[in-house]
Amino acid sequence: MDQSGQQQGVGAAGNQVSRSAGLALTDFLMQLEEYNPTIPDAVTAYYLNSSGFDTADGRLVRLISLAAQKFVSDIANDALQHCKMRGAQQSSSKIKGKDKRFTLTMEDLTPVLAEYGITVKKPHYYI
Amino acid sequence: MAAVPPAPGETQGTLDPRRKTLAAAVAGILQEAGFLAFEKAALGTLTEMLQSLLREIGRSTRAYSELAYRTEPVGADVVMALVDMGITLEGLQMFRSRPNRVVITAPSQQVDLKQHNVLQVGDKKSHPAHIPDHLPPFPDTHTYCFSHTYKQPVTEYEAIREKAAAQKRDIERALTKFATKTRDTQNLFLTDDKEYLLVAVEPNPKAYLDALMPRDQVFEEEEEHHTKKKRRIVTEESDPGQEKDKLNESQEGELDNPYLRPVKMPRKGKAKK
Repeated sequence: MDQSGQQQGVGAAGNQVSRSAGLALTDFLMQLEEYNPTIPDAVTAYYLNSSGFDTADGRLVRLISLAAQKFVSDIANDALQHCKMRGAQQSSSKIKGKDKRFTLTMEDLTPVLAEYGITVKKPHYYI
Repeated sequence: MAAVPPAPGETQGTLDPRRKTLAAAVAGILQEAGFLAFEKAALGTLTEMLQSLLREIGRSTRAYSELAYRTEPVGADVVMALVDMGITLEGLQMFRSRPNRVVITAPSQQVDLKQHNVLQVGDKKSHPAHIPDHLPPFPDTHTYCFSHTYKQPVTEYEAIREKAAAQKRDIERALTKFATKTRDTQNLFLTDDKEYLLVAVEPNPKAYLDALMPRDQVFEEEEEHHTKKKRRIVTEESDPGQEKDKLNESQEGELDNPYLRPVKMPRKGKAKK
């Protein structure tokens, strides 16, 4: 009984956490109905289907595409910060109008991806 | 984290429209972040990453749902999969309500299936009752059903008379046109028109011969007459002996084989002169 009580206590605490997470999730899913992610639903659904994920609920698809979008967007923001840091180092040069134009290069992308655990190696030259 | 292919430095020829859409979506995300240009290699890397990310989320969601003895994935499975990969939900809410939702990639795939109707010639039979509908439809009836190739003849007297008259008129007109182009013509008026041309009549000096000697087919006999006359005139003036023999031989050769034409010799008057 004690064990069950303890379990219940833990379970209650766990339930609270999961309940809040569940509530947030259900609310989120309700909000997702109006939201259009950048990646079209059909494309996301295709790639999910190719690995076995088949659902009748379109909100899950949108949730996943939103999560993937956020992932890429985080990487892009980090790369932008890298680019700005690099631009700040070279701000002494005369070319300042170009600072507003940020170009995503592999030089910025590689360290960012390395932070996330993805190793990217670009060949230096083409044979 | 998900494994990424080792050297995504090149964007291969993107023939896949979904791949292109993903690349466009990545470009939209980059534009939202503030980038105005990107390297091709960088875009290729991110596209590949996005594709494998989607696949991985789908795979692990399915795995979690199957772990719980379910076949349909639920929201909780998705959350577990995301947490498993290190993507938290807390930031998602903020991300969703961010203000700069400027770029939304609208191009969803549209497939054109309109070409079928253009080539359809005949009518197709519908399935009889014993054939289910998911099987392909019958082809056009004219491809496998027998039908007579003749049309019913027109038996109306007026129509037939009209057709016969029209045909006769057309034949006559065509023949006269042909005659004006191939034979000598005389003009009815003094102007040099191509209309109102008359076909010239060749005068026949011995008209009674045609009446006395009827013939079935007209070969080149008229030319033979003329050439023979010319030759005789020429040979009588020059050496009569040898050339007469040659002429006789040639005439006999012609008589033997009706398919041979007489030989047209060059004018010997000029050569001799």
